[in-house]
Amino acid sequence: MQAKEFKVKWGMLVDLDKCTGCGACTVACRAENNLPPEADAANKLRTNDWMNIYELSNEKPFPDHEVAYLPRPCMQCGHPSCSTVCPVVATLKDEEGGIVSQVYPRCIGCRYCMAACPYHARYFNWFDPIWPEGMEKVLTPYASARPRGVVEKCTFCHHRFMAAKEQARMNGEDPTELAEDAYIPACAEICPTGAIKFGNLKNPEHEVSKLAASKYAFRLLEKLGTDPQVYYYSKREWVRKLGDNYLKNAKGGEHV
Amino acid sequence: MGLDRRSFISLVAGGVAGSLFTPVIWKTLDDVSIWTQNWPWIPRLQYGEELTFPALCKLGSDAYGVKVKTVGGRPVTAEGNPDHPLSLGGICPLGAASVHLLYSPSRVKNPKLKDGSSFKDITWAEAEELLAGKIREAGSNVAMISGDETGSVTDVLSGLVGKAGSDKSFFMPGESAPAAAALAMLGGDGQVGYDIENANYVLLLGADALGSWGNVARNGKAFSASREKGVKFVYVGPAQNGTSAVADSWVPCNTGTEPVLALGIAAVIAGTSRDRSSWPGFASFAKFVQTAYPLDKVAEITGVKAAVITGLAQELVRAGRPLVLTAAEAGQGLGAFELAAGMSLNMLLQRVNAVGGVRILPWAPKVVEAAADRKTMFANDLVAYLSSVADGGAEAPALLMVYGANPAYALPNLTKAQAAMDKAGFVVSFSSFMDETAAMADLIMPDSYAFERLDDAYSPYGSGQPNYTVVAPVIKPVFDTRPAGDVLLVVAAKAELDLGFESFEDVVKAKAEALGADFDEMVEGAAWVSEEFPAQDLALWTTPLQELAVAAKDGKSLALAPVQRLKIGSAKIAIPPFNTNAIRFDEMLGNDMYVLLNAATAKNLGLKKDDAVKIASSGGECKARVRIFEGVMNDTVVAPLGLGHTAWDAFSRDKGDNVYKLLAADTEAESGLSRFATVRVTVSKA
Ligand code: SF4
Ligand code: SF4
Repeated sequence: MQAKEFKVKWGMLVDLDKCTGCGACTVACRAENNLPPEADAANKLRTNDWMNIYELSNEKPFPDHEVAYLPRPCMQCGHPSCSTVCPVVATLKDEEGGIVSQVYPRCIGCRYCMAACPYHARYFNWFDPIWPEGMEKVLTPYASARPRGVVEKCTFCHHRFMAAKEQARMNGEDPTELAEDAYIPACAEICPTGAIKFGNLKNPEHEVSKLAASKYAFRLLEKLGTDPQVYYYSKREWVRKLGDNYLKNAKGGEHV
Repeated sequence: MGLDRRSFISLVAGGVAGSLFTPVIWKTLDDVSIWTQNWPWIPRLQYGEELTFPALCKLGSDAYGVKVKTVGGRPVTAEGNPDHPLSLGGICPLGAASVHLLYSPSRVKNPKLKDGSSFKDITWAEAEELLAGKIREAGSNVAMISGDETGSVTDVLSGLVGKAGSDKSFFMPGESAPAAAALAMLGGDGQVGYDIENANYVLLLGADALGSWGNVARNGKAFSASREKGVKFVYVGPAQNGTSAVADSWVPCNTGTEPVLALGIAAVIAGTSRDRSSWPGFASFAKFVQTAYPLDKVAEITGVKAAVITGLAQELVRAGRPLVLTAAEAGQGLGAFELAAGMSLNMLLQRVNAVGGVRILPWAPKVVEAAADRKTMFANDLVAYLSSVADGGAEAPALLMVYGANPAYALPNLTKAQAAMDKAGFVVSFSSFMDETAAMADLIMPDSYAFERLDDAYSPYGSGQPNYTVVAPVIKPVFDTRPAGDVLLVVAAKAELDLGFESFEDVVKAKAEALGADFDEMVEGAAWVSEEFPAQDLALWTTPLQELAVAAKDGKSLALAPVQRLKIGSAKIAIPPFNTNAIRFDEMLGNDMYVLLNAATAKNLGLKKDDAVKIASSGGECKARVRIFEGVMNDTVVAPLGLGHTAWDAFSRDKGDNVYKLLAADTEAESGLSRFATVRVTVSKA
């Protein structure tokens, strides 16, 4: 299938030489997007983690061992495997910016998209979203709570994109020419080491577009031709090498 | 409806391919998806005006500014505060979860009095009367424990204890106390800070500066900025962690022996040709380190090769603006001599009170007259005191007040600490949560949560420059709680102990004034920062030099490397509900936590991946499973602090085991402080 081209292509670049695996991005993502708390979340069989952190290892014995941490949001693929298999067209890549959308009211929970996504970036809602009593008061107004039985995933905090466009229109600016800091997803904003960069991959002024062109940048499973909009960056060769077969080497997240 | 969900799905999946091109199916599918999405309760989103408020997060060992976003007056998320010197826009995984804790299932919603094996609800008036009575009864036989080194509530509490005639004001263990004692050994006086931002080479001896140690958010920003400037970060420690994952190199070093490495490096530097003979104390220091710490001996103790040690020494000397940061992996447990070892290395490199070096900050001004000052409190050793109470060496306090701390969970020599608290006549907990200490207390006077109270913080340990933060409440208390500072002043008045202040706000105002800061501007969000560092007359060790005590290897036991991972909580807070997902499946299996061993060590012990094990020290025992992780020294076991809660809620209770039980403390002769960074344990199949 021919990928749609957009004038603006939002992209994320995670500098794996800066990520400490602290988990702040995971927590911020849950809070921003109203993912309910899960008491038994260490067991990844039924969890819902839009932003999951994997531990990568160079698999060498002590003392030559090295680790890197790889935060994994939805890759917002240029050729998304998920949308082609969705029988009800609940997921699509059709909006300026190139974010793969997920329409919850339309999702029938068949989980074909989960099977198709090579990045395990999609999550099935096994349980009703239950907040401890009173905690529903901290629900943000940004993302409606998803019911049991649908599939969900990271949206690059799409609501922040909408708000930024709205703001640009109000300021009489061109919403397709957003400045670099006008739209930043929650995970990128919160990361204490600034490992997550975000911007328009097609705007040469934006740092992501420069970094994505670096020889140290890579994408996960590039050989599949999914054309992800999430880039990773590492000066460590072994880390870059894992990018193309990370499922074999990844430690973490054996969810279904 | 006769069609169940599964057959519906296969029906749709089978029939849909051919029908996608007709528009009719869309409407039908939208309708049908409504009944496949069967759920009992749909949270309604509430909209409203969006605002942000400056606030403080003290959930880790640090205290730093955050911004709380509110929607229609409801706090919804917390973000880093770009205007705060210790956040610079960054936040840690506890700060990220801080807003949800307002409604944590563990919140204590009103004052409670122990009633047999449970609690009964009482009113604030009753609670205050009761405590005032207990204070009068106890006379000078009172003690207090605080987990907040930075805030003025500690001064009010200590003032109350002081007014009652007791000097038993204690902090929970951390590194401020040994650092202050270490500085004193070198002839200095003040609070130790590190100017990471301006260093051009950072040697982290044990300090997990990007994961859990010191001002984590600020450290992260400083690290990030220094990447672009080509600053080198070297991490030295027994195991790989978040810091080592991004540092330029990891130097494996036996648990808790980083200070020995520091003295070994010092010996190499002292032996270089540069003439330092005019430096105070240099001659005896150089002689001492060169005799006591020859390269081969240091290599033997630390497990670091001699060539690596000389390499590090050369890099430090060449760097220009090097900074050596010494800490225990878990941010506590080192003795003063050990911290002085790292500090003396900075001195040798002329990095004290220098840009990009170690900075000496003035102590916080004292405003509550009767309170013990910070320096005195740091010299009071809680672990030793409680152990002595448990052993009958010291009298148990008739009244023990605990604020911002969870000593019944997070102390070394834990069994003794718990026994001592059991012996105390009456225990009062000022806690926002039903933690282990609150659960065993006689009276709980629930403190309002961080975003519900006026609070302040003066220069958390490690701060590169003096700073002071004051925050106003973001919202009114959501439960029947009250800020501890105010409650204590009311109770003091009832007990006829005059602390000189009517309200906690007056205390904070007085502190701001003493610092020359503007209270009104500060509550609006401006942080106060100073560049004044008291002059120091340091000499390379003014107290007798002595060899560091290192736990002896016996071929049977392993070194324990306790580590902190803020995502699973801290000494103060259990796993926040929103953080359980950040736990990886290789960190916990069911409710069993993993400890890390390398393959060689596991093989020696006859252990395999996932084996259930018992870890035992002279302090106690823990249960865990084995994860083989090659980023650990030989004969070392890495275990996470912060799990194994017995109180709290479903998000943390009974998950893993409490590694504090393994931390057996001994006493450092010269300083009298407890040390517990080098504990030996046995690991055997459970
Ligand atoms: S917040 Fe940043 S450093 Fe922490 S895990 Fe996420 S990407 Fe890594
Ligand atoms: S971009 Fe937004 S939705 Fe996606 S992982 Fe980051 S915080 Fe979550």
